Amino acid sequence: MTAFKNLSGATKGYIVLISLVVLSWLIFKILTPHNFGTPEHLLSYFQASLIATVGAIGFYFVMDMGLFDFSIGANIILSAIVGCQLATDFNLGYTGLVLGAIATGALVGLCNGFFYVRLRIPSMIVTAGLALIYESLANYIAGGAEQTLPSDLRGLGQMPGNLILAFVTFILAWLILNYTKFGTYTYAIGSDEFVAKNMGINVDKFKVLAFILSGAFFGAMAVLTISYGSSMVAVTGMSSMSRNFIPTMGCFFGLAFMKYGIPLQAIILGEFIVNIIFFGFISLGAPTAIQDVITGLALLIIITFTTKVNKGEIVK
Amino acid sequence: MTEEVRLQVQDISKTFGITKALQHVSFNVNKGEVHALIGENGSGKSTLTNMLTGIYPMESGKFIMDGVEIHPKNQVDANNMGIAIIVQELGTLSGLTVAENIFLGHEERFITMGFRNTNQMNAEANRLLQQYGFDHIKANKMVDEYNFEDRKLIEIVKATYFHPKIVVVDETTTALSQEGREELYKHMNRIRDEGSTVIFISHDLSEILDKSDTITVLRDGIYIDTVKSKDVTEEDLKRLMVGREITGDYYRADYGEKISDEVVLSVKDVTVPGVIHNVSFDLHKGEILGFGGLSESGMHEVGKAIFGASYDREGEVVLADGTHINSIPQAIAHSIAYTSKDRDNESIVINQSIRDNIVLPSLDKLTRIPKLPFLNWAAIKAFALKYAREMSVKMQGTGQFVSELSGGNKQKVVLARWIGKDSDIVVLDSPTRGIDIKVKQDIYQQMDKMRKEGKSIIMISEELMELIGMCDRIIIMKEGTVSGEIMRNRDLNEHSLIEMMV
Repeated sequence: MTAFKNLSGATKGYIVLISLVVLSWLIFKILTPHNFGTPEHLLSYFQASLIATVGAIGFYFVMDMGLFDFSIGANIILSAIVGCQLATDFNLGYTGLVLGAIATGALVGLCNGFFYVRLRIPSMIVTAGLALIYESLANYIAGGAEQTLPSDLRGLGQMPGNLILAFVTFILAWLILNYTKFGTYTYAIGSDEFVAKNMGINVDKFKVLAFILSGAFFGAMAVLTISYGSSMVAVTGMSSMSRNFIPTMGCFFGLAFMKYGIPLQAIILGEFIVNIIFFGFISLGAPTAIQDVITGLALLIIITFTTKVNKGEIVK
Repeated sequence: MTEEVRLQVQDISKTFGITKALQHVSFNVNKGEVHALIGENGSGKSTLTNMLTGIYPMESGKFIMDGVEIHPKNQVDANNMGIAIIVQELGTLSGLTVAENIFLGHEERFITMGFRNTNQMNAEANRLLQQYGFDHIKANKMVDEYNFEDRKLIEIVKATYFHPKIVVVDETTTALSQEGREELYKHMNRIRDEGSTVIFISHDLSEILDKSDTITVLRDGIYIDTVKSKDVTEEDLKRLMVGREITGDYYRADYGEKISDEVVLSVKDVTVPGVIHNVSFDLHKGEILGFGGLSESGMHEVGKAIFGASYDREGEVVLADGTHINSIPQAIAHSIAYTSKDRDNESIVINQSIRDNIVLPSLDKLTRIPKLPFLNWAAIKAFALKYAREMSVKMQGTGQFVSELSGGNKQKVVLARWIGKDSDIVVLDSPTRGIDIKVKQDIYQQMDKMRKEGKSIIMISEELMELIGMCDRIIIMKEGTVSGEIMRNRDLNEHSLIEMMV
């Protein structure tokens, strides 16, 4: 125990995360040894987890500032539909797909940030309201029809395309977080906005930038999503919210492991754990309702045990 | 010491709503001096320096530094002009490393093509920390890993490494232990010796006389006078600050009064792991029991332990009727009050009104029908106003937000809350921290009045003189245990207490 205490923060964080990966794998491997958890399966779970990881990593910039975004799902749907149409209807191929989706995501982020800063109302409310607009816009652009990506444009839905795109986004996020002024200011604003303002930091500007960056990462997630699933359907009435859960969960892992200095790594492994649990339930053949209940509980337990809150520390 | 003018404060005015915080204030500050700025709480000291350091925007008037008019827009802008500030409370940001805190807003020198050279920044921060003699602090560590004192040392580096022309030290010493204070004084002297200027704000008049060269006095936002420290006494300064002679007793005047035999509270073998160990004592009816020691001696935890606010507490806190106190609601229900040293975080609800803060623990008795939850707003307003007035809170009305008050007035609100609650046992941790001379006197007199009414007070303080002046008995803590106890007497002085403390 003393030896564990003496380890560096990052090492401790990795040990906890890897133990969780092994534990979640082991539980389902014991329960369903034949159709779960082979090396091939694990690679497939990891590939699936990359999709949400890309979005979660971008979302971390927003959540770390103490803000929230309810328009994640709407953004992914809108960006995927725009990217798909640019790639197919406008014959722009991969360039249209990738740049179109990322630019749309960034634009959605810009709108979120702009309205949040201008209207001075909580980010949760602004983004929930805007999500309805994005959903309607996506529905209008899609003309109510399912948008299908042709098979020759689905290279980013499988190895090595998905891995390359995800890797590029991880490196970018890591560089921004650790080696730019923006990364430092993200933490500074999250820690104490008033002091940050007094340090000459243009807080509103950096909040908008965080939303743009997060939006662009969700754009990249949209590329991976439509490439993996081959099509996208525009939904309305806030149905897009169901897509919020997994990237948000990964982001919680990042926030929980921020104190160990490995937030991005925690998001990657956290999303992997979420997917192991998800596919574990599928292997068990558990009904969806039971899957949701147990997944929710399992994740709450994981976050509770990995987030060691100091005694007396206020949790909101 | 030179007499060259560094800063001209010309006709500065500032208002907050209907409050005139500063009215046509003008005076000069010279190069190579420690220039103290004193005045009662709400006199405008912090407003003035906050404008000088870009925290508040200018309203009217001018700051002229070395002959050039300046208008700092924020702290970094002020830094770029050669002005820095060390604040009273924590001025470092959690979640950032030590180096990131030191260079926050000044990262440009380490950035190439948009990317920061973190290694270079850490190396530079480590070099500065070594140069200042703070070798135990490491640049690449998260600032959260360091305690309050060390974080203050990091602030000293942050505020002075770029050799500013003016450094504002705003009531910083009250938050520091003696050791921390000495470290700060050393750097204040260094800054002065380098020809720069320190603007020093403190309520400790002996410290002001000892450490400053020149003193400017403000009262109710108006400039009163600028005097040379060597030409004045503490009594002169009090008169200038308050506008009249401070009459009546400052501390208690009685000696030799017998403490009641009636024990109201017994603390038996109380231990809080890593903080205090086997602390035992009795508190008597009508007694003021003092706790003194170095900042980290554990004395502040004693107050929390009595109030049921410590974690993992062992041992017993027992009232005269045998009731064991193990939680905060239990303590309040049995007429125990507590004010924390960390006023802003642990005592005041900062984004609520004065009224809400005062009535908070007394709401049960301010309902329309006893034991029903319907509040009587007329009674609430009258209650809050009565106790805010009793403590002479400077305010526009009890509906004013506490966040708009000066430090001393916030403290008055905290005390008004517990006086209104009419608690029988009152634990006051650093009750006069950051408070001016007049309010201190008010608080001391209030404590004396409460004592005479039979209420029992535990006073925890790093100010030895107030312990000596106010307490019937003083317990000295050292390294988490009781190292000595001393009774009230005329011959008691700071040296006898310090011997037990160190």
